[in-house]
Amino acid sequence: MSAPIIVGVPSKGRLMENAHAFFARAGMTLVQGRGGRDYRGTIPEIGGVEVAYLSAAEIASNLAQGAIHFGVTGEDLVRETMPDADARVLLVDGLGFGQANVVVAVPQAWIDVRTMRDLDDVANAFHTKRGKRMRVATKYVNLTRNFFAGHGIVDYRIVESLGATEGAPATGAAELIVDITTTGSTLAANGLKVVDDGIILRSQANLVASLTAPWGKSEKNAARALLDRIASERSARTMREVRSRFKSADAEMVAEAKGRFGAQAPLGGPTSSGMLTLLCPPDTVHDLAIFLRKQGAETVMVAAPEYVFARENPLYQALISRLG
Amino acid sequence: MDADNRNARAMNGRAEALVELYERAGYARVQPAILQPADVFLELSGEELRRRLFLTSDVGGEELCLRPDLTIPTCRMHIEKVAPVPASYCYLGPVFRDRGGGAGEYVQAGIESLGREDSEAADAECLSLALESAKQFDVSRPSVRMGDVGLFSALVAALDLPPVWQRRLLKDFNRTGTLAADLTTLKQPPSVGSAHAGMLAAIQGSDPTAARAFVADLLKIAGISNVGGRTLDEIAERFLEQASLGATSGLGSETMTALERYLSIEGDPDEALASLRKLAKDARLDLSSALDRFEQRVGFMAAGGLDVSGIRFATAFGRALDYYSGMVFEIYDAKGKVQWPLIAGGRYDRLMTLLGSPAPVPAVGFAAWVEELQQAGAA
Repeated sequence: MSAPIIVGVPSKGRLMENAHAFFARAGMTLVQGRGGRDYRGTIPEIGGVEVAYLSAAEIASNLAQGAIHFGVTGEDLVRETMPDADARVLLVDGLGFGQANVVVAVPQAWIDVRTMRDLDDVANAFHTKRGKRMRVATKYVNLTRNFFAGHGIVDYRIVESLGATEGAPATGAAELIVDITTTGSTLAANGLKVVDDGIILRSQANLVASLTAPWGKSEKNAARALLDRIASERSARTMREVRSRFKSADAEMVAEAKGRFGAQAPLGGPTSSGMLTLLCPPDTVHDLAIFLRKQGAETVMVAAPEYVFARENPLYQALISRLG
Repeated sequence: MDADNRNARAMNGRAEALVELYERAGYARVQPAILQPADVFLELSGEELRRRLFLTSDVGGEELCLRPDLTIPTCRMHIEKVAPVPASYCYLGPVFRDRGGGAGEYVQAGIESLGREDSEAADAECLSLALESAKQFDVSRPSVRMGDVGLFSALVAALDLPPVWQRRLLKDFNRTGTLAADLTTLKQPPSVGSAHAGMLAAIQGSDPTAARAFVADLLKIAGISNVGGRTLDEIAERFLEQASLGATSGLGSETMTALERYLSIEGDPDEALASLRKLAKDARLDLSSALDRFEQRVGFMAAGGLDVSGIRFATAFGRALDYYSGMVFEIYDAKGKVQWPLIAGGRYDRLMTLLGSPAPVPAVGFAAWVEELQQAGAA
């Protein structure tokens, strides 16, 4: 009996709920052993998978060490935990929740600071005149250091902050902060504003694969089963099914629909009686329907497909090509 | 005894001989603590150093590090003991740096000369002892690269630039050592631009008090009560600085030409000096005091028996540590067998004040990397 692959899932809060909902949409139930108290679980729909309930930060560090095969966690934590993230993990897919930006924020009263270049000048003047470096409160030590280095800013010190970072300038613990924000309202409530070009990372929850975890044949098979469901849910989520039937439907018209609206014809071109099934991104689906009516369609039906299973699985292909 | 062991013993023996050389030259041997407060190093060298430090903390949560060099620990020790100046110290021991691979632990020997007022003579002696150190390890005819951070400060002061440009130039010079590349950026105007154009026009020509009142009014209108971190005066002062720059000006073309010409000067110290005197004359810049000191220093080197024509001086050669303030030098293996500098040093007149010395203390010193010397000498 070979060892199962381990999927790290957030153990509490909004992130956990969203992760459960995401797996559910992909036809997978996360079953926590012994109710809500066990930190291990299973996915009954597919074999060879074990679920580990961990904090989002632990998921990132476990992925870095190869202790788990997959994990659901924020890109911010992945990039902060691993300076060489792209060599250690693969960001398989953005999951559409947990959106937040890691930003540089300064007191609103600094009306002369709008850009990182302003900040560079101010930090430099601060250091020269006071003989002290400006302090940046953050839990994102690595992201901050790389971003500031990229902007040539050297006259600063990092003050590590593991909670309520946005309060640091008001209490005098730091002059500015680097923190995560969703709407910016917490920053505003603390008298802070985001520097115009101070967005370090636009983060969201990701399905992340560890490249250093043990990947044998049975692990790869389990990964394929898992990613098959996720890919089919993803295709379904990002596509609408468009159906119609009219005489003049032909290959040339399908080619035009592909080019203009990003449509696909996964079941082939129109049949001899003009039956046509297309997949189309939601944002162009109305234009596609109008186009089809102009071409002669009496009725165009649009529905959301539940799953789209294709022979090719781009998520699995991407993983396999990185694993070599 | 295996070969590795023999080599290690040979190296230790030579390192001890090195310190004996320093002691004979009048430098008292010291052994500063290995465990040091991390804050001092980070404050002096910035966050970029953090990734190279081996960090730990004590029970109270104070951040400590294994000493990454011996200059700062030696200076701290001197200040703590309230020792008189002039003072001359030498040392031998491990320093700890994460160079991204490798052992992380390296043996350094070196000297620090604190408080001598005859700076140019002290500079020459320092370089002379550094070259003597290379000789101890049978490193024949090493290459010597030299720069002068103080000369660049003097140039920037003589150019009569607005304070903003002075600060930026000094910062970039200290940091990168490849300032020529940065000059392209410096040709661009400062970022204030149109966003603040109206405000700058309103504030231009105001005195500091009026500017401060203007900024206070703006904040009041915007409903901002808590300033945080910087004072109103600092914000007003920066607006005034920006306003005085004019909305669109980058560095003037004459200034650019002078800077570029300055940074292209290199050669042996005598050649470089001639080029610098000519530049000062052509651009009508008063660099005479700095250049006279330069000439004196070279004179002391020649008088001390150094082969001055073998030294490679470059104006653009700076050290990426911002406590250096004058002459800086690095000694390399001329055969290119060792990539790292074998010995590096220079003048750091500001460091003692930054470390808390009540009075300024002129200082110069160098550190020799014993493993590198051994490797370069083992031909």
